[in-house]
Amino acid sequence: MPLLALATLEPWLATIFWSSLTIAFYLLAKQLYSRWPRWWLMPLALTPALLIVVVLVVHANYGDYLHGAGWLLTVLGPVTVAFAVPIYEQRALIKRDWAVLAIGMVAGTLTAVGTSWLLATLLGLNGTLRLSLLPRSISTPFAMLVSQDIGGVPNLTAVFVVMTGVFGAVLGDLLLSWLPIRSSLARGALFAIGAHGAGTARANQIGPEEGSIAGLLMVLVGLLNVLVATLISLLLH
Amino acid sequence: MTAHRLSVRFRYALHRSRTGQIALLAAIWLIGQAVVHVTGLPLPGGIIGLALLLFLLGSRLMSPLSLRRGANWFLAEMLLFFVPAVLAVLNYPQLLGVLGLKILAVILGGTISVMGVTAMTVELSGNWRARHAASRSGNT
Repeated sequence: MPLLALATLEPWLATIFWSSLTIAFYLLAKQLYSRWPRWWLMPLALTPALLIVVVLVVHANYGDYLHGAGWLLTVLGPVTVAFAVPIYEQRALIKRDWAVLAIGMVAGTLTAVGTSWLLATLLGLNGTLRLSLLPRSISTPFAMLVSQDIGGVPNLTAVFVVMTGVFGAVLGDLLLSWLPIRSSLARGALFAIGAHGAGTARANQIGPEEGSIAGLLMVLVGLLNVLVATLISLLLH
Repeated sequence: MTAHRLSVRFRYALHRSRTGQIALLAAIWLIGQAVVHVTGLPLPGGIIGLALLLFLLGSRLMSPLSLRRGANWFLAEMLLFFVPAVLAVLNYPQLLGVLGLKILAVILGGTISVMGVTAMTVELSGNWRARHAASRSGNT
């Protein structure tokens, strides 16, 4: 494969190759998932999986890929800014239900950090790996920041966030059929605080009210975690 | 053409242009980056930009119409932008073995707990508040 070998050697070709491949696989996964909504076809899972196959086939490594398509990560900055719009548009809901939402966010965050720490310790996982597991319930841009603050590996956290999202959307449906939950507030909170963006997408399919509650909570809980982690790291250093 | 009419036309064009709104959000992020660079705040530029934008919207200096299309685009396509981070799994081949199964167990167990606790907390505190409000209005 001379063309593919070239694509991993020339820097500008590598950028075009890996970037367009990433975007193409992402668009393909989106199309497939909208037609067949199976969990393993979620763009979140399928896009990285296809790219990993290509990286292995052309005998490249993560460094090569990152040189070519790493610039996409920079766009997570403007994505964080964009979250201001849904927060602002849901201000009536925040005003009405702020107490219940705050209790839910604190309970969810404490459970996330507590169970991750406990289960990881029980299974003999420790050090940076255990720290990288702690912020996996929140949205990736926030989770990577928290991971950095508390001494984890942001890239590993990104992998765990994705795994949480893929399984969380499925687990959320199961839990909803077991638990005695009537309010759309609780259904939205379950998906947003348990499985960030992937959960929010699932909540949107259940109903518009669940969807907007989830979208809002996903951002607020991410922000809460970032602010708390920043405080903790300032206190520790 | 007066300056006022120019600014009205500009705003009208911005309300309809997704590309313009995407550029505006990127510009707010760059301002956030610059603030972090100058002040040395321990927060990333994105969070500063988010706070700045909330202030602009809350004080009505900026209309959500100037940003909604762009923001919706960023949020809808968010997954694309962290794909490169997920490929970091290539650097950890040991995740494919027993270690990976242990991590999977932590993630499954943790996620079920978070979802259960969160949903029940919100449901119960919502019910409690509804009863509380009902009994209060019943007394008056």
